[in-house]
Amino acid sequence: MSRQAISLTVNGAPERLEVESSLTLLQMLRERLALIGTKNGCEAGECGACTVLMDGEPVNACLVLAVEAEGCEVLTVEGLAPSGQLSALQTAFSEHNAVQCGFCTPGMLISAYALLKRNAHPTELEIREALVGNLCRCTGYVRIVEAVQAAAGESALS
Amino acid sequence: MLARPGLPSFDYVRATSAEDVRRLLLEHGPAAGLLMGGTDLFPRMRDRLLRPNLVVDVKSVPGLRDIGYDTQDGLCVGAAVSLNVLASHPDVQEHYPLLVEAANSVASYQVRTRATLGGNLCNASPAADMAPAALCLDAQVELYGAAGYRRVPVGGFILGPGRTALDPGEFMVAIRFPSPRAGSHGTYIKLGRNRAGDLAIVGVAVYGYPDAANRVTGCRFRIALASVAPVPVRAPAAEEAAALNPRAADRLRAAADAAAEAASPVDDVRASAVYRREMVRNLVMRGLRYVTAKLGRPEGGWSVGLGEESA
Amino acid sequence: MTRLTHDPVGKSVLRVDAHDKVTGAAQFADDIQFGPGLFYGRLVRSPVAHAIIRSIDVSQALAMPGVRAVVSGCEMTARIGLYLVDRPIFAGDRVRYVGEPLAGVVASTEDVAQRAAELVRVEYEELPAVFDPEEAMQPSAPLLHPDLGKYKVAGFIFPEPGTNVSEHFRLRKGDVEAAWRRCAYVEEGTFRLPQIQHVPIEPHVAVSLWEASGQVTLWTCSQSPFSQRDLIAQSLGIPHGDLRVVSPYVGGGFGGKAGVSMEACAVVLAQAVKGHPVKVRMTREEEFVCTTVRQSLVARLKVGCDCEGNLLAMEVIYLFGGGAYNDYGVNIVRAAGYSCTGPYDIPNVKGDAYCIYTNQPIGSAMRGFGMPEIHWGIEQVMDQLALRAHLDPADFRRRNCVRTDDTIVTGMRMPPVNLTACIDKATQAVSWGKQEAASASHKKRGKGLAIMWKAPAMPPNPGSAAIVRFQEDGTVHVSIGAQDLGQGAFTVMAQIAAQTLGVPFEWVRVSVPVDTRYSPYEWQTVASRITWSTGNAVRAAAGDARRQILETVAEHWGENIRDLDIKEGRVISYRSEEELPLWDLVVYGLPNPGYEGWMGGPIVGQGRFMPSYVTNLDPETGQGTRAVVHYSVGAQAVDLEVDCETGQIEILKIASVYDVGKAINPDLVRTQIEGGAVHGLSSAYEALRFDSHGRAVNASLVDYRIASAVDCPKRIYGDFVETPLEDGPWGARGVGEHVMVPTAPAVANALYDALGVRFSDLPLSAEKVYMALHAASQRGEARQAT
Repeated sequence: MSRQAISLTVNGAPERLEVESSLTLLQMLRERLALIGTKNGCEAGECGACTVLMDGEPVNACLVLAVEAEGCEVLTVEGLAPSGQLSALQTAFSEHNAVQCGFCTPGMLISAYALLKRNAHPTELEIREALVGNLCRCTGYVRIVEAVQAAAGESALS
Repeated sequence: MLARPGLPSFDYVRATSAEDVRRLLLEHGPAAGLLMGGTDLFPRMRDRLLRPNLVVDVKSVPGLRDIGYDTQDGLCVGAAVSLNVLASHPDVQEHYPLLVEAANSVASYQVRTRATLGGNLCNASPAADMAPAALCLDAQVELYGAAGYRRVPVGGFILGPGRTALDPGEFMVAIRFPSPRAGSHGTYIKLGRNRAGDLAIVGVAVYGYPDAANRVTGCRFRIALASVAPVPVRAPAAEEAAALNPRAADRLRAAADAAAEAASPVDDVRASAVYRREMVRNLVMRGLRYVTAKLGRPEGGWSVGLGEESA
Repeated sequence: MTRLTHDPVGKSVLRVDAHDKVTGAAQFADDIQFGPGLFYGRLVRSPVAHAIIRSIDVSQALAMPGVRAVVSGCEMTARIGLYLVDRPIFAGDRVRYVGEPLAGVVASTEDVAQRAAELVRVEYEELPAVFDPEEAMQPSAPLLHPDLGKYKVAGFIFPEPGTNVSEHFRLRKGDVEAAWRRCAYVEEGTFRLPQIQHVPIEPHVAVSLWEASGQVTLWTCSQSPFSQRDLIAQSLGIPHGDLRVVSPYVGGGFGGKAGVSMEACAVVLAQAVKGHPVKVRMTREEEFVCTTVRQSLVARLKVGCDCEGNLLAMEVIYLFGGGAYNDYGVNIVRAAGYSCTGPYDIPNVKGDAYCIYTNQPIGSAMRGFGMPEIHWGIEQVMDQLALRAHLDPADFRRRNCVRTDDTIVTGMRMPPVNLTACIDKATQAVSWGKQEAASASHKKRGKGLAIMWKAPAMPPNPGSAAIVRFQEDGTVHVSIGAQDLGQGAFTVMAQIAAQTLGVPFEWVRVSVPVDTRYSPYEWQTVASRITWSTGNAVRAAAGDARRQILETVAEHWGENIRDLDIKEGRVISYRSEEELPLWDLVVYGLPNPGYEGWMGGPIVGQGRFMPSYVTNLDPETGQGTRAVVHYSVGAQAVDLEVDCETGQIEILKIASVYDVGKAINPDLVRTQIEGGAVHGLSSAYEALRFDSHGRAVNASLVDYRIASAVDCPKRIYGDFVETPLEDGPWGARGVGEHVMVPTAPAVANALYDALGVRFSDLPLSAEKVYMALHAASQRGEARQAT
């Protein structure tokens, strides 16, 4: 099995690591960089708990090799509030009780964040379709959708 | 055996030319696996269905991530273009909306950031969501291998579940779609266990275009089905019936029945053969109603998606 | 400056754990960093459903570089079990389900452990297997546990040695045989449910460290750190004080993280590599079939009423497919037995509930603990009876549902509840009785109703304890052994503590980890009991702290304690109008006059709660003075449409109303209702499927589908009524499980209303609905489209 050096940016910080070919981006984030916000829920691209942004687009990190992220910009949940100031989305999730056990929350936030970047005023259906790949067993999605709508509304005002 | 945690070991190489890929494939044979989006490859490796020692990443091969359109030659989609890029491309949205609808029916947004049109066809699942649209649109796949470049109609490319017409040392570089027919309309209706995000229990593409040469209806149709045969298939008898059946009152019904006959579904964990056949019937009917309304009443028609109402 | 909330009980304050969770800082079990000395464990699992183990050869595995230890059931023979100690931690002589662990490999990386585990060679001599509970009850069925009579068993569980029956609960009230003769209408039916799984988004993870000193630590996502400690300590002979269980945040439990499934394996592996922590993670596929599942059920029901629709008699036989071993299984069956009628007042009842071994994954606790399983059939047969008696199903339920002070099925007096108010609100929210048109000609519309009850199913003496401590700045730390699984327990406990103490809600911290070394005892976070039981303990502890504070200040001011109070974090005197901020005394005490000495000191409040009134039940009749602590009740009404061309169901509205006694945090109650409605809906479509050899064919999220964001009802109306519980904090009871119990039968009843077709077997699917509709219309039975 080969190893190679990769360089990439994670949450704005340059990183250089040596990784095995078979190391996934998810494993790299969690085990090499101790960025434990991104979760392992299925390793099959079904649950979305591992969703991160790669060059601005959401991906299941469990289905991306670390070596494929060479030269890329990766954003994880830890990067949503870099200076400690919560983003509008995170505040909305908190205020609308869109969080219960919290395990789906990082992936959900990243998918929602990417949605609002490409579609600032999504309809309810567009929100739900954008979140199809983020499974939640606790909330029934009701408050998650409300929180995304609230955050979209926030940005409409500002 | 249950899937293993993480991926098994393998070597990884990022190919930088088509020649690179051909050479590696010929050198390593079945021990090499091609990587585009990885959304089929990696889960199958966890399940031990595929065990490549060498994973060849073709995303950096020139042209594989490009999309180009011109009115003469139509659309050329690099094999490693992701479904999201495909579906959001302005030329694809304007000229091939059926492709957009099919692409948006696959899995989830984050899977579509990585999954590719080429990968969907090369994976050759009977349920490949891009295949019915590709069949309706007369797509050809462009392959590169020991004998250089060659083109194969998509219907001749997928040969069986997981089996394609790729020769040893060959890989897909692009998928080409001829110029769209004037006035055409199409729809891809996918039935899954969830309202979105699932594999297809049945996938139906219906595509129609005006054809003055047809005195009966003035239209021609393409009807293609996924998940109801060993490979995605066209339903030529259904297409004929929809275009040529002289009795207007039961034309669409005859076409839907013919489509159901063209299917050879099996029972699997998602659904039974009996149900699948009925769904072909009902969903082809839905698709035909939608397309004929669009063709006959350009201002009318109704939106059909996943389980929505018919007129 | 944050705005402060005073008197938070009854207010929808924001969750105390939201900030951790939205920033990604919340640590779950797989997130804890253990450093470079961490080893990984992978388990060797049986590929066959029932077999004698002839040999286990670990030599090739041991020889792989990086492998540190291999443990097999040959040398590791300890057994474990909650109420019936029937399960080996590693199988040594026999395997009883596909996926049963019989050995474990410890290695320096997970990949090496996995590859080495695949090299363990096991010789099996296959035995006939049985997968259906009815078949397993036959005398000719293969016997899964020949030693059933020798297993240690709790006093209230009655296994039948020589059979596959691990529990038989008998309920005999009145005289059903005589009552049938008085019935004007009788309905019966057989209802079936498959096994389903909890599908928490966080799969199970356990890390264990066995130190050379004999101290053992287990870090795991746990609903029940204390019970897990108890079971594992007893099983492995570790003194309780030497085994420490630590649980960080839990990413969804639903009952699957309440008992012991894979955690004991991690501890056993750790013993083999003392001084190194060993992490064992379940893949999602293992999570499906190698942790625990909800039991399957075959239910036979018969009910009868008089000509006015008053229920007179009910007879039930519940055959639960318990799987290969019991975790909670036998107690689920017991609970199904003593609640076997559903929330109805019926004078004559005959009930038999059986837990039956089958060669399937371990059946255990899942949200509802037997109630969703039995209500599936009960609510449908009641609907059928109502229709036969020419009564509106809602009126039928109003007439017959349990009321405060009714003598219920076990002879107990029904504690205060208002189920009719729940029925009224739920039916009103879907415009019950108003026939509404479907949205298209190829659709049919229907409405259905289901009601439910559930008691916490516990041993008679489950205790909660709490400790309230102060920081130097007057803020408060509440220690509990209860867990927040997402249901909001930490927030509610903080509200209770703040209200009782008289401090702002924002001053109170309740947090992870739950740590058996430092947290006070909590039986388990299950049974929707925490708001009630731990709430009482927290209230007592806060009250104790408050008393200590006021005693010190009373002495300091020379005043009567009855004139003192704590408001907004300050001690005040109503008499002298003196006041003192809490931070002045909660750690350092107060000086005597002229600083001639000091009084008081660090305030530590303690409290506990344990119900004192639960009694035994007669093993022959199930009758007793007080079977359970209380019941919570509720109703769900469903308004749906069926697409007749595909069989797809669209839920237009679910209206759910529960009697919670007191909503300590109303919005958290609503979020439970919303989540429960979707979970209940999803569960109606879910099923674990197996081939003829007992191997799961859909043990992955690809083919075991759960509700995603597009699969939700169009509208969810959630509400509650408040009939105070006699011994709940401010009258509060739990609701976390209740919210998913009636959903599936409400949907089934709505389908009957829409289509005239009764679905007695789960799972539902578009295919099943379509095919049934098609068959019914061929027989001329289906209703006309409206």
